[in-house]
Amino acid sequence: MSDWITITIDGKEIKAKKGELLTAAAKRGGIEIPVFCSHPKLDPLGACRMCLVEAETRRGKALITACTTPVNDGAVYYYNSERARDARQGTLELILINHPLDCPICDKGGECPLQDQTLEHGPGHSHFWEEKTHKTKHYPLSDLIMLDQERCIVCWRCIRYLQEWEDKPQLGLFHRGGETVIDKFPAGKFDAATSGSVIDICPVGALTNRLSRFSYRPWELDKTDSICTHCGQGCNLRIDSRSHRVRRNVARENPAVNDEWICDKGRFATGFSYHPERLQQPLARMNGKLEPVSWQEAIQQIVAGLQNVSKEHGPEAVGALGSAKLSNEANYLLGKFMRGMVGSNNVDYREGSAVLADPRGLPALGDVHDADLIVLMGADPSEEMPVLANFIKRAAKRRGVKLIIVHPRRIELSRYPGIHLAPMPGQEVDLFDALTRASLQAGGEAIPGWLPAEDGAWNTEDVRAAGQWLAQAQKPFIVYGADYAWGFGARDIVTALSNWAVAAGHDDRLGFLHAQANAQGAGDVGLLPNQLPGRRPLSDDEARSAIEALWQTRLPRQPGLGYGGMMAAAASGHLKAMIIMGADPVGEKPSDAAALDKLEFLVVQDLFLTETAIRADVVLPAASYVESEGSFTNTERRLQRAPRAVKPMAKSVPDWAILMHLAQAYWGELPASWQTLTIAAVFAEITRAVPQYAGMSWENMGAEGRQWQRSALEVGRELRSHDPGFDPTDRKYPFHLIIGNQLWDQGTTFAATTEMAHLGVMAARLHPSDAVRLQVTAGDRIRMHSGTGEITAPVVLDDSISPNSVFVPFSFLQAPVGELFDRFGQRTAVAISKVSN
Amino acid sequence: MLSESARTEMKTTMARYPRARSAILPALHIAQRQIGWLPNEVMDEIARIFDMEPMEVYAIAGFYNMFYKEPKGKFHLEICTNVPCMLRGAGEMADYLQEKLGIGFNETTSDGVFTLDHMECLGSCATAPVMSARRNQSAWARYYEGLSKEKIDAIIAELQTATELPPDHDESGPYHHDHHPQTNFLLARIDKPQSHTMASYLADDGYETARKTLQMAPDEAVGIVKAAGVRGRGGAGFPAGVKWGFLPKDVTPRYLVINADESEPGTFKDRLILQYDPHQLLEGAICTAWAIQAHYAFIYVRGEYAFAQRRLRTAIAEAKAKGFLGQNIFGSDFDLEVIVHSGAGAYICGEETALLSSLEGGRGHPRLKPPFPAVAGLYAKPTIINNVETIAHVRHVMEHGADWYRQWGSERSPGFQLISLSGQVKKPGVYEIPYGTTLRELIYDMAGGTLDDRPIKSIIPGGLSMPHILPDKLDTSIDFESIQAAGSLLGSGGVIVLCEGEDIVPLARRTVSFYREESCGKCSPCREGSGWLEKVLKRIEAGQGVPSDIDRLKHITKYIDQQSFCPFGPASVWGLQSTMRLFGDEFAATIAATNPEAQKPTIPARPTYRQYVGQPLENKLDDED
Repeated sequence: MSDWITITIDGKEIKAKKGELLTAAAKRGGIEIPVFCSHPKLDPLGACRMCLVEAETRRGKALITACTTPVNDGAVYYYNSERARDARQGTLELILINHPLDCPICDKGGECPLQDQTLEHGPGHSHFWEEKTHKTKHYPLSDLIMLDQERCIVCWRCIRYLQEWEDKPQLGLFHRGGETVIDKFPAGKFDAATSGSVIDICPVGALTNRLSRFSYRPWELDKTDSICTHCGQGCNLRIDSRSHRVRRNVARENPAVNDEWICDKGRFATGFSYHPERLQQPLARMNGKLEPVSWQEAIQQIVAGLQNVSKEHGPEAVGALGSAKLSNEANYLLGKFMRGMVGSNNVDYREGSAVLADPRGLPALGDVHDADLIVLMGADPSEEMPVLANFIKRAAKRRGVKLIIVHPRRIELSRYPGIHLAPMPGQEVDLFDALTRASLQAGGEAIPGWLPAEDGAWNTEDVRAAGQWLAQAQKPFIVYGADYAWGFGARDIVTALSNWAVAAGHDDRLGFLHAQANAQGAGDVGLLPNQLPGRRPLSDDEARSAIEALWQTRLPRQPGLGYGGMMAAAASGHLKAMIIMGADPVGEKPSDAAALDKLEFLVVQDLFLTETAIRADVVLPAASYVESEGSFTNTERRLQRAPRAVKPMAKSVPDWAILMHLAQAYWGELPASWQTLTIAAVFAEITRAVPQYAGMSWENMGAEGRQWQRSALEVGRELRSHDPGFDPTDRKYPFHLIIGNQLWDQGTTFAATTEMAHLGVMAARLHPSDAVRLQVTAGDRIRMHSGTGEITAPVVLDDSISPNSVFVPFSFLQAPVGELFDRFGQRTAVAISKVSN
Repeated sequence: MLSESARTEMKTTMARYPRARSAILPALHIAQRQIGWLPNEVMDEIARIFDMEPMEVYAIAGFYNMFYKEPKGKFHLEICTNVPCMLRGAGEMADYLQEKLGIGFNETTSDGVFTLDHMECLGSCATAPVMSARRNQSAWARYYEGLSKEKIDAIIAELQTATELPPDHDESGPYHHDHHPQTNFLLARIDKPQSHTMASYLADDGYETARKTLQMAPDEAVGIVKAAGVRGRGGAGFPAGVKWGFLPKDVTPRYLVINADESEPGTFKDRLILQYDPHQLLEGAICTAWAIQAHYAFIYVRGEYAFAQRRLRTAIAEAKAKGFLGQNIFGSDFDLEVIVHSGAGAYICGEETALLSSLEGGRGHPRLKPPFPAVAGLYAKPTIINNVETIAHVRHVMEHGADWYRQWGSERSPGFQLISLSGQVKKPGVYEIPYGTTLRELIYDMAGGTLDDRPIKSIIPGGLSMPHILPDKLDTSIDFESIQAAGSLLGSGGVIVLCEGEDIVPLARRTVSFYREESCGKCSPCREGSGWLEKVLKRIEAGQGVPSDIDRLKHITKYIDQQSFCPFGPASVWGLQSTMRLFGDEFAATIAATNPEAQKPTIPARPTYRQYVGQPLENKLDDED
């Protein structure tokens, strides 16, 4: 291939890619040139002078920095020459003179590039007799990260990371010369969502993990390659534990998913696995109180409770909720238990049947890297998927890719060039219709008669430009998020936005951004009331017989109830028993307590004694994902393993294993079709039940996971008409309620890391002009009430919120926004009043 | 905290640059002029105006010495103690100032009137010792030159009591200068009354050359400069015409940047042109901008040159009014904006890529080469960076032609040059001489010999960065090749003369201190090594030197010299290396005399970091368990 050239290092010929840096070429040839400032994911700097080698030049041999030198064909280098070795020794001696050499108490000691390179390349002695320069030690940059300016060797990696990836330069150099220090703005923020990446890339112990420091030496750690389950991106990470406690997470490279970055939630929010309030043992209700019982007794009570209800009211009186935060195996077995043993199709999860996600999720996360246009609809990656947000920023900043953002708020990514369209809830379809028209016009295509007339409110320059951009783009990255996929009118919105993609000729590039770790997988494995595993409808006879053969049982044919249907049925007394696995309906909507209280029998398996669990008849302590094994399917259909990193806390048991026990007890013995005693065996069965997963195995998922083929599931898209938009507000309820995810929220798994509890500003956000109108100021409490309920919350004024709307984040304990709408009421209007003290 | 007028001025300034961020240094100057220093809140405000992270503003302000991070007195006095001033009694004057004001360096008098500091070279070495004074919350700043105790008494008295500010420059006119009988071009006009004005310049047929040049094809103009062989006068001596030829064809826009960051100790020639004949520079700039087809010319003037900046700005306004600058200059369809950009106290910004970093609105760190500025310079666009004097030469070459220029000097060093002569000579000053003049002719014939006719100990022929040479090289011809053959470099043409009787160790230490102070901190050898060298030399000065220190110094300088990021590194140690080579015995003798037992120095114990030791527990740093 013409791209390959030959270079010579120390007399050895090495094949190199034309123009790549000498450090990279040498590595391919087996020579690891030491570096500090250089990093494969950052622009070359050439500052530390560690990578010096000799090069043959027109003027004889010269010292050059390998990290800044692109290789040319026939170039000759000397890595091991006496002069090059001496030069590297010299650099190390100089770097070390003011370094404190406090390795024995440094977290980095044992995995420190400076230590390692001193051992391999250092001079072995120092000529330095003077007093070292003293700088600030133990300097908290944030609640999460500590800085030691003395250990810092001023390589700029952290600074460059924040510039080049986060585009949030909150760290910089201060002073100059020998006094140069890394610092943040005094009293300024250090709050980039992936700020912790600077710990991973610091080549010394200058930046350390404030939550985990001094709790391990690196060589004592048990290291487990795993993934993060805080969001749907599925970033790869390594869980480092000591004495069966997670000590820290560090990023693991997976170019297709997360490059080599993870966000601070993934890195630091590990508290859920060792929180003292974790459930320690099974509990059962006795005389109205939850009391500790043995596993055997708990399981027996569950079997008795479920069988009574089933016998008395029929199997359709039993329902189950799974969780998009739990593994494929747990959700699959819950579905199998409910359908195969109990005989009920009442299975769902919060992000399941109610959310009109593209069943194939996102085409591929990696598409963003060569996209020529980025379209975000009802999604806020900065809060929902910070690593993806960084990829988008990089595309915008480095490649000049334009963004089209359709979102009712001004989101962080709105600061990049492009077009921001902010339809209020209910108006979305009108906007997408206008965009559809604009794209069709740009492509010179016929306008279907049912598209509304051209002269609507969205007949704007921006809309015409956006329509044209998408029609002309070659490789657009187009995503929509949950905000547009559930609630009143969601079907019309999804139809309308799909129409736009179709009109622009990019329906194959339209994808859905799942905010939860396994929202894709739980659906794939069949935890939906109207679908069998493999996303096949219940009415698909062929599919049903295949599953019946696999499970060796008859399956109910009647479609089951979804999440909302089950809650309604519980309230009306038609649903009598429920298994709730890893979900907390009452926490999200306290008024659902009444419905659950009506159940004859409720089982909850969870990490904590949630608001839902305290109402249960039996509570089972589940092991967290780091204590379990399981596979997760991320938003781009990538199946990835999360192996067990630590042993389960106390008497907790992985969810999938709980279901195995339950099945055994329910049936009296474990039937032949349930002889899946290891996670690999469960997974093997899933690959037979889910056609898209065929050919995969626990082993062959490998370190970087495997994607199922998008072509394995057809989603026919064509231009379709739909109902018009609406305005939910009226004189009584004049404000639009805008709901969305916030990275630092109060969700169960995140809130368990108490050190991070105060990071998020949990408040209702109002535009300053509305605050004036309502006569409220920042810090006041407001009451928001809709037709169905009310909540109160403190107020923050925020001009990124559109006037006439109020933003309330999900997972806000004080103000459970679910109270404000019927089950699926996104696009609700509220009235706001000040709460007098 | 910023006043409305300051904000408006910032926004106007932003609009003048092709990219708003370039106005960050001007904005910091504006803010400091209003408030007197730069509190964090102000940097935060500026960050919002520029849509930057506050950290970026903070990091930029922290790089430049002229931006104050704490309040100063009403008058900030800074006395130069660098080598050229040191050789002319700056030490004594510095002591006297401290005694007189009753404060040490970096202190403010109790009445808040004076803050005193020592300072690196102010670019006025012919009038050493020299001090700069800046009035708080005002644009007033000036130099006080040729200091004596009496003068200091008078200055202090005047500043303390005067109700009106004194004039903002020394009204005695240009400092001493002279020329070779044949070459009097660059300085020909500066003694004329009002030489800096448009009227005076036009009376001498000013701007006719620019007008003529605009009639030529740009390539023709480049060809003339190339044929003349004008070498860069900033220090590296690279032929200007050849540099211009590196511009990639068809890549626009292109920029011209004129380096007026004259900071090399011992160099003070550009200041004469800027203060007394700015139109000469502007005319050269017009010729150059036309030749390279640039529509923006930035003149990066060191921040301390306040008076020069004022004169330059006035000259630009005059030229604009005449239609010589701005749109359609001289009635042509050629536009040229000239922007004076003030530095803020960072020697490294004289290095061309560091200058670009600074001009783009950043810390002045040098950048990787390649790409060279001619290919990707300012805003990653093709950029030509030339020194003030080089541009002035261009003006004369365009008037008289290449052959005229080549009648002086040699094949490789054609023409003439401004030499800044300082140190222990009778008539320090700027001398305009043809290449080929010898050091002896310069020092003895033109400058009248050494002070008290003392024998010369050594000569630094090209600014403080360059190696010393011994008086046996006095008959060396002043040109790039001959000085190099003699063991040094012509650099920026700053000749510093040192006489017998001066101790070499303090001189070497002071040299190293300058580079320690001015190191940008980017690369490890220079950042760490310059401080180490200073510590060793200070230890020797303090009588704790040991014989092995000689090897230690050589060891350190070797690495700084061979593996620093930019030319600053080698330049920072050539002086020390050469003095150790030429006067090694003197170092050894100093060590032997002050530490005869060769006692090893005490290696200081680590200080305690636990600042709360002995204090109540609640005061401890929050992370200490």
